[in-house]
Amino acid sequence: MSAVAAKPAAGGAMNPTAMAVGIVMLIIILGICYVVSPGIGLMALIGVVVGGVLIGFGTHFVPVGGAPAAMGQAPGIATGVAMLAAGAGLAGLFGGAWAAEQGLVVAVVTGGVGGGLMMAITCMMVNFVYVFGMGIPSASGKVAKDPITGDTQAEFKSQGTEGHGLPFISFVGGVIGGTLGGAGGTLIYIQLLSLYEEMLPGMMQITEAQVMPIAVSAAGMFAVGLFLVNAVLTAYNITGTIEGPHDPKFKRWPRAIVASAVASALCGLVAVLIVVPM
Amino acid sequence: MSVKVEVIEGGVPHNNILIAGLVGTLVCIYLTYLNVLTGTELFSFFGGLAVVAALVWGSHTIKVLCSYGIGTGVPSAGMIAFGSGVIAMLLATRFGIMAPVVALVLAAVIGFILGYVSNNILNMKIPAMVQALTEMAIVGALTLMGFAALITGGFTFAGLTSGSISVMGMILPSYQASFIGGGLIAVAFLLGAIAIQHPFNATLGPGWKQDRMLMLTAECGFLSMIVAAVMSFALISAVAALISLVVAIFGWIYTYQQYMEMSKRDAAAWLDAKPIPDVEAH
Amino acid sequence: MEHIVFGIGITALAGALATVAGSAEDTESNIGSQGDPNSQVQLAPQMGFLHRIFNKAVAGEPPAYGLWCCLGAGLAWAFMAMQFNPVLAIVLGCVLATFVQGVYATTAYVGRTASLAKFGQPVYVDILKSMTSVTMAHAFIAIFCTVTLCHLINTALGHPFPLPLLGLIWGIALGAAGSATGNPYYGKERQYQNQKFGAGVPISASGNIVRFAEAGERNSIDNGFFTHKIGGSASGICFGLIVFLELWRTVLFEQVSAGWGAIIVGVLIILIFTVIDRYIEVWARKNYGPYTEAKEASS
Repeated sequence: MSAVAAKPAAGGAMNPTAMAVGIVMLIIILGICYVVSPGIGLMALIGVVVGGVLIGFGTHFVPVGGAPAAMGQAPGIATGVAMLAAGAGLAGLFGGAWAAEQGLVVAVVTGGVGGGLMMAITCMMVNFVYVFGMGIPSASGKVAKDPITGDTQAEFKSQGTEGHGLPFISFVGGVIGGTLGGAGGTLIYIQLLSLYEEMLPGMMQITEAQVMPIAVSAAGMFAVGLFLVNAVLTAYNITGTIEGPHDPKFKRWPRAIVASAVASALCGLVAVLIVVPM
Repeated sequence: MSVKVEVIEGGVPHNNILIAGLVGTLVCIYLTYLNVLTGTELFSFFGGLAVVAALVWGSHTIKVLCSYGIGTGVPSAGMIAFGSGVIAMLLATRFGIMAPVVALVLAAVIGFILGYVSNNILNMKIPAMVQALTEMAIVGALTLMGFAALITGGFTFAGLTSGSISVMGMILPSYQASFIGGGLIAVAFLLGAIAIQHPFNATLGPGWKQDRMLMLTAECGFLSMIVAAVMSFALISAVAALISLVVAIFGWIYTYQQYMEMSKRDAAAWLDAKPIPDVEAH
Repeated sequence: MEHIVFGIGITALAGALATVAGSAEDTESNIGSQGDPNSQVQLAPQMGFLHRIFNKAVAGEPPAYGLWCCLGAGLAWAFMAMQFNPVLAIVLGCVLATFVQGVYATTAYVGRTASLAKFGQPVYVDILKSMTSVTMAHAFIAIFCTVTLCHLINTALGHPFPLPLLGLIWGIALGAAGSATGNPYYGKERQYQNQKFGAGVPISASGNIVRFAEAGERNSIDNGFFTHKIGGSASGICFGLIVFLELWRTVLFEQVSAGWGAIIVGVLIILIFTVIDRYIEVWARKNYGPYTEAKEASS
């Protein structure tokens, strides 16, 4: 969306040394958490890391074309990848938080379905506008055939463009991305919420009922913050645009997994430390 | 690999802005501590001034970072700054009077690691990345702390999580009516996240000027301070909130006028109801 | 039973509010050229095409609407904490949030245009005056509807999040849905009305946006007028469906088999939309294409 002539700066290559450093950092952070708060704190942190990784991985699936998509010059949804993933994931978090008292599994799955639902409706409407509003069929620029349906793409591509619209594989990618994002965001929220519900009453010397608004707001705010950090890191990884799981850029996901794990572990550790008695 | 899109031409060097912003922010946040010393809430408006100082510094950091093509929009930088800053800021509030310094150190650590992660693990290879993300996490944390001080009159964990509500004329303690319990932290988060990225996003282009961008940042800061001061009526005494509001409105009017003057100075022409000028060949 | 009927009523009202909000959001951002089509408005003067189009690049639509709705909700929360009536509190909060939106719009237009001085693009004060007020009006509708639906979700349906956090979530979702659905229609169909219908804009044509109207020079209110017919309505339906279906499946089926009822219904809805999407795609392939002869293994 930026008008800066953005050149993709990040290459496709992996940096094995940095990946190793990242994994070591992750272990150190988990170790620190084990020392200061074994048990409930460590459990919460592991939940946060898993949630962050789900968000980072899920964002790779969201088909976003950036500014060229708005002109029908590139396939994908015409908006920013981090914010579209955030829109879907937060809609999922909304549903998941609502189902929080029904247990971890139900809440996380509800959050995932909420995110997937948001993306399914959005992707369907995008294709609707392309086809019935602008008379443009979908065509991918990165692959010759849609991996799911086997439709050929090249002959539907209009001249001088890289493709347009959302081929079926991108639609499926969008739904998967929304689902993973919603589930990840909800997982972070639920883990932090149960931690805060457990620890805050003792720390603030108030009853559990009184602590609820603070626990809910703080956990919700951290879930949003962690979501944005992970989504933006992934956006950096794919340099802003991706067509979906069939895009060659998708192969960069191992980097984002490590990056998301480290970033979530770090932020999660700080979030755990807030309630550790000093 | 990375291509530098535009160089920083002239103006105040970044390090000067960094130091001025950091010192100004810390001093202003600490001045709100006069609330505790004097037992009033009248000095809350210093929190808003801290926000302005931190944002001026942060927007210039964004300018330094986004001069390299980072591959995605300018707004994302503000999001990552505040996403990491909010967590550091909340932990720091547990340290009482030391909170601003703890927030600074903690945010620096988080930002540094995030910078390392994006630069090396994600292979972005942007020279300014580590320093910029470190600075932005600090700016995010201190801006949120400034908003917290402005809205609640203090920056301690107890102050941010408890408020009071009057029911039938009785004053009862309430945790729902507080900065965190009521979710005002979400408003502070987005006010800062937009205000930090807007100035560079709105002035980028070949005619970018440093003084114009920084004046716009101050304008965004005071504008955010106006609405934050309105919200503070719910949590601090009316007189204190009124002082913040008046300071914010005067600051905003002055910076807005200055910004418009500078834009007039830099614009190709300043026309009212005129057609598109003729240029050759079109 | 009674509370389910009540919940369905609230759900329907929230869905209707969301539809209005989505439609107003897209029209507002198109009048302001916010979001991705902004890049072309920004590019045009650099290619020698000076124009009279409003160019307010505050941020992408999702973060911008996240702020406006969150701010409206936060102010409404604060006014309610001061014992204001909720209706009055929401209206006042949204008015102040709209004021902030208007100020950001003016500084964005003036700033971007002043930075294009090298290419001779002038700042038009009349655009600032007429377009800003129109975008503010649309923004008020979008913000008010979103904050109201957040308030309904919070108080009537009992969602645990506080009002400002709900404003943030639904504001970002509103911007994401509105920009995804509405941007192509403005970016391709309106800005490049001079290009072939039914095809993407060739990359070589970038920057050559339509600058003249049937009579005189095109202004951004015309763009809002044009895009509202399909892009705006589609955005409204998109956001309305998201809010309505999300609430509907929770309110009706939450109690069925310990929460799994809502999940199964959600999956079914996703499958239905998948089928619709596939139908649209195949329909387009049958009726529009192919543009060139099918070649084996070409890309």
